[in-house]
Amino acid sequence: MFSRVWALLRNEITKALRCRLPYFGLFGAALLCVIIFGVADELSSSNENNAWGYVTLSMQLVFTDIGLIFILVFSALLMADETRSGTIRAMLAAPLYRGEFYIAKAAIGLLYMVVLSVATLVLSIVLARFHYRFGAISDSFGVIYSHGRVFGSFLLAFVLTWIPLGALVIYGLFISTVVRSPGAAVAVSIGTLYIIDFTKHLVGLDPYIFTRYISYPWQIMQQITQGVDYQWHPEVWKMVGLCCLYGVVAFGAGLLIFLRQDLND
Amino acid sequence: MTAPALALQDLSKSFGRIRAVDRLSLEVPPGQMAGFLGPNGAGKSTTLYMIPRLVRPSGGRISVFGVDIWQDFIRAIRSVGVMVEAPAFYEYLSGRKNLELAARLLGGISRGDIDEILERIGLADRQRDKVRTYSMGMKQRLGIGRTMLGRPRLLILDEPTNGMDPEGTREILSFLRERVRTDGLSVFISSHLLYEVEEYCDTVFVINKGRLIASGQVKDILTPHERIVRVTFEGEVPDRRTLMADERIRNISSLTPNTLEITLAADNSVWLNRHLLETGFKVAAINPRQKTLKEFFLSITGDGDHV
Repeated sequence: MFSRVWALLRNEITKALRCRLPYFGLFGAALLCVIIFGVADELSSSNENNAWGYVTLSMQLVFTDIGLIFILVFSALLMADETRSGTIRAMLAAPLYRGEFYIAKAAIGLLYMVVLSVATLVLSIVLARFHYRFGAISDSFGVIYSHGRVFGSFLLAFVLTWIPLGALVIYGLFISTVVRSPGAAVAVSIGTLYIIDFTKHLVGLDPYIFTRYISYPWQIMQQITQGVDYQWHPEVWKMVGLCCLYGVVAFGAGLLIFLRQDLND
Repeated sequence: MTAPALALQDLSKSFGRIRAVDRLSLEVPPGQMAGFLGPNGAGKSTTLYMIPRLVRPSGGRISVFGVDIWQDFIRAIRSVGVMVEAPAFYEYLSGRKNLELAARLLGGISRGDIDEILERIGLADRQRDKVRTYSMGMKQRLGIGRTMLGRPRLLILDEPTNGMDPEGTREILSFLRERVRTDGLSVFISSHLLYEVEEYCDTVFVINKGRLIASGQVKDILTPHERIVRVTFEGEVPDRRTLMADERIRNISSLTPNTLEITLAADNSVWLNRHLLETGFKVAAINPRQKTLKEFFLSITGDGDHV
């Protein structure tokens, strides 16, 4: 099974490298990083002294905006695009199981999310080094958080961001499985995301919607860069639990639907 | 006893109230080219979709060389190359890259194997071009090339000559015919074109409204019990009622003032020519005409509305 999933994932990587969409995502994220770099001082008072503030702000804004959209579009097209073009039938007529195909699709979605976030991070760090300094967080009374502690927290925030973004990828894949037209899949995934985001406060569902946690690790990181008290617990566990629950349910439901789908025209 | 290349037993598929395939049973003998003939909407594609499990049957069994497709899918499908409907490719990739992706899933296929297939299907020169620049015929050939990766023992092809010119059609079918003869390949090929099956297949299965309505050797099923000829006269045209008096003539219709279309019982065209000359009519030309699928169905079912 592993060798077949690996072969499928290699195929997915080959295809992704030759598509335009992933590069548009990288370009969009890079552009936003540069824009944020240009206006960072106006956006955050904490950036004058350290690079952490700028990088945190950059990551936060990219992944609550254009990065999030591109991750969702990429994952919403994973199944729908193949269904529309008919390539899914050619692939599934090979000696492999549908479940393996679905796992490979989820894996490439997650991989793109990681690549986009790493690329954004690298660019943000490069830009930050032009103007800021990566050091300890301090004020006029001295060091508040040491360089090592900030670095550790930053790494933690970076990795934690992958959890809600991962759930987002699985959500996009689910929509892509159910809505078999690429345009409609993109519209439905983005549309539902925004509708839920706009209404979740009004109907009191905010604590139960995983998207609220997409910027959560960076919010904590902002507190650190501003030198104020911060606390990961217990909210971070709620984040992990809720996002994993959404991810598992969306993956399970999507897989079940896909396994039972008739793939004729 | 050798297991059939493909065996369908009481295969059924319903889409809601519509019964697309209705208790279909057939066996494709190994080392033969079998035609799957039926009009559009007869259930051919649905049947073919069920073989690689792209569509779930409502009932029945499918086995390939004796291996049940639902019990051991990987083993069963390893010996099968499938092309259903129009061949679909990643259009932004080259023809070669598309074959490489498919080869990766099969495993154990070398670059040399891919080169050989590209050579065989006549796309070696265009292998680096993106598929979006290919003509329909080239895509069909690439699709057939993809089914041949991994040296399958059975090819399942859904109307593989769709959109191809007559020359390309002949090339592809002759190529398949040759593989059957030299490599012992089994081919199950669906078509709605009578002459394709008649000319290239050994056995034929005729399906309509999801049901098998005839099967057997091509010569037994498709060899015309009736022959249609178009006779062009110079000068006087014979009286239809007089001609119809002979039982060897089944039907006559006028196409033009001096051309008749005559349906003969069996191949009596030589007799007809002689008969017309002996009765004093000058025949300018006698041309046989292929039966249409509708006429074929009419002849085997007696029901013109069948198609």
